[in-house]
Amino acid sequence: MASKNEPRVWETFLRRPGDLKEEVEIPLVIRDLNPGRKKYALRHVLAIVSRKAEEIPQMDELRVRTVVGVELPGSWGIRILEELPVELPGRPYQDFFQALKAWVADQKLDRERQKKYE
Amino acid sequence: MFRDNRDFMAALRSSGDLLEIEKEVHWDLELGAVSRLACEKDGPAVWFKRVADYPEDETVFANPMATWRRVAVAFGMKPHAPVKEIYAEYERREGRLIPPVTVEKAPCKEIVQRGGDIDLFAFPAPMLHDGDGGRYLGTWDLAVSRDPETNWVNWGMYRFMVYDSLHLTGFPRPTSHLGKVFQDHYVPKKKAMPVALVIGADPLSHFAAAATYHIGGEEGALAGGLMGAPLELVRCEASDLLVPAQCEIVIEGEVLPDCVALEGPYGEYPGYRTGEMGNGILFRTTAVTHRKSPILTVDATGYRDDSSTITALTGAIAIKRRLERHGVPVLDVNVPRDGAVHTAVIAVKYGGRQVAREILETLTSRRALLSKILLVEPDVDIFDLGQVLHAFSTKCHPVHGIHAVQYEGRANTLTPCYSQGERAAQKGATVLYDCTWPGEWSREWEVPVKATFATIFPASIRQKVLSQWRAYGFKE
Ligand SMILES: Cc1cc2nc3c(=O)[nH]c(=O)nc-3n(C[C@H](O)[C@H](O)[C@H](O)COP(=O)(O)O)c2cc1C
Ligand SMILES: [Mn+2]
Repeated sequence: MASKNEPRVWETFLRRPGDLKEEVEIPLVIRDLNPGRKKYALRHVLAIVSRKAEEIPQMDELRVRTVVGVELPGSWGIRILEELPVELPGRPYQDFFQALKAWVADQKLDRERQKKYE
Repeated sequence: MFRDNRDFMAALRSSGDLLEIEKEVHWDLELGAVSRLACEKDGPAVWFKRVADYPEDETVFANPMATWRRVAVAFGMKPHAPVKEIYAEYERREGRLIPPVTVEKAPCKEIVQRGGDIDLFAFPAPMLHDGDGGRYLGTWDLAVSRDPETNWVNWGMYRFMVYDSLHLTGFPRPTSHLGKVFQDHYVPKKKAMPVALVIGADPLSHFAAAATYHIGGEEGALAGGLMGAPLELVRCEASDLLVPAQCEIVIEGEVLPDCVALEGPYGEYPGYRTGEMGNGILFRTTAVTHRKSPILTVDATGYRDDSSTITALTGAIAIKRRLERHGVPVLDVNVPRDGAVHTAVIAVKYGGRQVAREILETLTSRRALLSKILLVEPDVDIFDLGQVLHAFSTKCHPVHGIHAVQYEGRANTLTPCYSQGERAAQKGATVLYDCTWPGEWSREWEVPVKATFATIFPASIRQKVLSQWRAYGFKE
């Protein structure tokens, strides 16, 4: 689901410094910071983020918090490319972030396989 | 005893332990901040009558039992009952089990929603601390689940946050009874586990759900025993689980066996937000039922929250029972409120290396939640922390009096002093401070004589002094 015209504000949590790769497609869990009853609703998305928000058109704003919930200074730009399932396949109690990465990798593999057979 | 949470709130109002706030308060941090400060000041429970973004008939009740006064009221005791008496009262009632009964009609079914009607954002779940992973709908809750092999029904109080309109993510620890049954009997068969999340039942049902209680034990019967009458349960809409009929809100759903979800981080009962994030379980809502004008109950988790009384109290009695079973010469146990359920004071007939080892072993073999244990002799009133500190300071040998165990795979991942690495491996340790005299010291020749009024004067002098106390001019 692409962003609407007016930029919106999202927030993500990172487990370790360096977990937010810039200018490549990455899977992320983001939550809605726009006011209202649904503030803090979470989504799983495939997105591109960058510190240089002005360089990529149609960027929303992304804020970042660490694993202990501390907000990092500044903000990033984010462009949401694709919605990923909220019911993310994985083993209960195992690492969520790994499951998110694994799902995206599996999808890619599937798509490449499909291309081969076409 | 209180049939429902509303009766309990009325009792708190008349004992002066409830503040009703008519002014609008925002669910996004303001409500959490008010409730947090109320805990830290030992203030009353709070009923928020107007919550921003939500209709007037959706209100929030925070910190039901975060003071000993409120625990006493919940137990039908005098509000100023001493902690020691509340401990003793729980100990008396805990052994008596009264199984629940089933009813057909229930207030918690006044509104029933299924399918597309379900919207978890319809409840004013607060963002309790700035930087938490989400809005917690489940804090002062009661999660009903069942072991499919034995039909054992478990109730537990576990945190659940709102993910989207339909999903919650939760953190019943993997070692909790729900976590264990889920992993043993549902995950391997890839079967979804029906769970009913109950909010705003009568106070002792929640107390029972939070109580340290043995595996296979039914908290529903414990709650009945604590109340002295059977609880009334009603069947769920989407499963055959039973929930307290008089509760405010029921979120019915199933925990998915093949999904993982982000959960936390969350400002937790030790008084910190440790980096526990991710690794949650995903709950898909199947039905929502509630009373008209539902009251959402909340625990403003952190220093001096509801766990500081009830988890501490039930933990202490459970520790006492286990040590008795293991032949430890235990007399009494106190888990003091400011120790965040990390410290236990244990009175024993005698201490020493062997008793210390036995205690450490017994209390860290499955779930190792305690971090510090102080072992004292019966001359110390374990409910008087001044006396406990005095014994610790004077009697614990800085080398020989300290015993520790380390373990892996079962540590309390919320204990703030552990590193992120230790947390990931569930590595931890528990230390015992032996504040008792070594058994081999001669009472006549070696054990120091305690120089207090009660111990260093002959009875005749003590009697004389006590009988003339006011005559000397003292007021108290
Ligand atoms: C307010 C409050 C919140 C709690 N949250 C959790 C939680 O999120 N996860 C957990 O495993 N235990 C939590 N606990 C502790 C459990 O309720 C307690 O260990 C209880 O005995 C669990 O029941 P069980 O032994 O049937 O699993 C909480 C306790 C309180 C008082
Ligand atoms: Mn249990």
